[in-house]
Amino acid sequence: MKRISIMLIIMSFAAVLFASGQNEKVQNNEKNIEPVEIQFWHAFTDDARSGWINDLAIEWNSTHPNFKIVAESKGSYRETLQAAILGSRQGVAPHLVQVFEVGSQLALDSGIFTPIGDVGNVDLSDYIEPVLNYYTFNNSVYSIPFNSSSPILYTNKNMMIKAGLDPNSPPETFEEILNACETAKAAGIPEAGLGFNIHGWFFEQWLAEQGEPIVNNGNGRNGRATETMLTSKASITTLNFIKELNDNGFYKSTGKLEDWGGSDAIFQEGKVMFHITSTADLGNISNAIDSRFDMGTGRLPIPGTSKRNGVVIGGASVWLTSGHPKTEQEAARDFILFMTNTKNMNSWHKLTGYYPVRKSSVEELEKEGWFKAAPTRTIAFTQLLETVSNQATAGGVMGTFGDTRTIVEQAIQKVLNGADVKDSLTEAKKLADLKLEEYNKNFK
Amino acid sequence: MEHRSRFKARGLEVVFLLPTMLILILFLYYPAWQSIILSLFRSNLFLGTRKFIGFENFRNLFSGALAPAYYQSLLQTLIFSVMVIVPGLLISLVLANLSISLGKRGKIYQILLIWPYALSPAVAGTIFSFLFNPEVGAVNTLLGAFSNLQPRWLDNPILAFLLVVTACIWKNLGYNYVFYLAALQNVPRNVYEAADIDGAGVVRSFFKITVPLVGPVTYFLIFTNLSYSFFEAFALIDLLTLGGPMGFLPFDNTGVTTLLIYKIFQDGFGGSSNMGFASAQSVLLMGIIGLITWFQFKFADKNVHYGGE
Repeated sequence: MKRISIMLIIMSFAAVLFASGQNEKVQNNEKNIEPVEIQFWHAFTDDARSGWINDLAIEWNSTHPNFKIVAESKGSYRETLQAAILGSRQGVAPHLVQVFEVGSQLALDSGIFTPIGDVGNVDLSDYIEPVLNYYTFNNSVYSIPFNSSSPILYTNKNMMIKAGLDPNSPPETFEEILNACETAKAAGIPEAGLGFNIHGWFFEQWLAEQGEPIVNNGNGRNGRATETMLTSKASITTLNFIKELNDNGFYKSTGKLEDWGGSDAIFQEGKVMFHITSTADLGNISNAIDSRFDMGTGRLPIPGTSKRNGVVIGGASVWLTSGHPKTEQEAARDFILFMTNTKNMNSWHKLTGYYPVRKSSVEELEKEGWFKAAPTRTIAFTQLLETVSNQATAGGVMGTFGDTRTIVEQAIQKVLNGADVKDSLTEAKKLADLKLEEYNKNFK
Repeated sequence: MEHRSRFKARGLEVVFLLPTMLILILFLYYPAWQSIILSLFRSNLFLGTRKFIGFENFRNLFSGALAPAYYQSLLQTLIFSVMVIVPGLLISLVLANLSISLGKRGKIYQILLIWPYALSPAVAGTIFSFLFNPEVGAVNTLLGAFSNLQPRWLDNPILAFLLVVTACIWKNLGYNYVFYLAALQNVPRNVYEAADIDGAGVVRSFFKITVPLVGPVTYFLIFTNLSYSFFEAFALIDLLTLGGPMGFLPFDNTGVTTLLIYKIFQDGFGGSSNMGFASAQSVLLMGIIGLITWFQFKFADKNVHYGGE
């Protein structure tokens, strides 16, 4: 009920906004003083990131008296996209929506968006290519990359030293993680272990690292995906690792699905030696740790038997909705280009740990010597630059990605409860395929 | 029958009923009717598609790959309701009895016991999730101070289920307590004095006098608690477990705290977002509640004594 009532509140709120927006348009024509509001819905609920956006909106507004960017947080990624689509059906769509990579197919299929690259002449050559490629469908750039990240390993260096491990060479493979945990346990460290929240995203990243797609038809990029690859060898290897960690008492989480904050807390409180989460949390986590211990970072550990193929270069991007006057669309586009310009992407990166999505930003950061000053941040770039560009790392697209994630997460939970890896994955594939088939039937 | 003449003008009762009826029609009957219609369609909320598929949504609930999860959810909901209602009512009645026996000194307890009801389910859920976070929660920190016990409150299926049950009981305790308090204040003290003289102990008077005399209130509370446990548990589940964790065989087809109401949300707003499938579940849930209500009225006619006449 909660979500539904929130949705209703959002919708009625949106209706009020729409009504007041209409008034403003009238006033604008008559008196030419009230600026036209450009709505930007995003999914950041923390002060640091939403504050950053608000500051830039104020800066942009001060130089564009005819328009006013209104940035609003709409809850999680899923909820933001859902609210935008539903709002659009009621005729109250925002202009700009932050959509996570998993929502791409649904965003495309919903038909409420217009390719931002086709609104006037936009020079996108400065955006990092593999990132931009993710958001290119049917040769049109649909959205502007904004916050891109990938998972990395976080380490508690003090604990590693206590365990007799070298804090400057973090484990790189599944096997090395297990060995390091064994060593630490033998050294009498009860916090020996690896923590990450139960999330399909990590599973997807591990498939990509092993060079395997998550769905058929070229990861859903050659044609509409019709089948998931949840029983592939890479899938089994990944889940086997989680099982082994857990069986040895080395896996730490709150047990709640997608509990980012809970897992971060475990690491920040010094209750686990290794932690995996997004590069985007580098800023927040190191602030939270403060000086309690020395934090290190490393590349995402992968199966030792596999070649390092790279991570999915996803994250979220900003989409432009159709159905608004051209002048408003252009204003919205201009704001996004301003928000992701070289200077702003640098401050964004420094604040959060997200990749700056522009080549010029990376060059500038290098010139500044930023990577020497902030060594924990370099690892994210190493991972990105090493990534082999192919369909596995381009990331899968399917209409039911949200469901597939939940199903994968439930399979992980089952395995943590002692279920067999292959059985759980077979069951998961059956369910995920059924949901996908159900979704695809909407287009027949 | 003679009470009818209280309204002087004919049809005045209709006028008085109108506002209620309007609200019921607008917010209850019409949406319910829409749900029934929608359950016959494949309709994606976000794509705006709508295609008639007859009873396929209902068939998918009872056979095929999606059926085991539904059966599990149904069974869980029934177990959950019994586990919330029986101890919940018993505890509130005992507490009401105890606090009333304190007389004026019991006031502070009354206030404290009614308190949880003033919290919204969202706040209650947040409090519980802070308390029972296995790694940094207050409960495990306290336990860690003098034992090695660190229960996995949220990922052990049994503990997670019990935690949601407990949170649900606690949240509704104040509500039940208020009703019992009022009911007990109407029980004449001389009945207890007579029992006392006859040599009945505290336990005996509780079961032989208190329980039967608050029967009508219990009957009312069972009904309200039933709809509470079927519907209102949503917020607690959403904040504590998100429907998880997966249980042990045979409870491993969906999360153990995925009750019917939460499953409707998951299926309706999830990736495939077939609102028809979610509606089919709503229709069945409506049927279940209707059936239980019918049973209750039947049962109440025979077994609840209102006294008086």
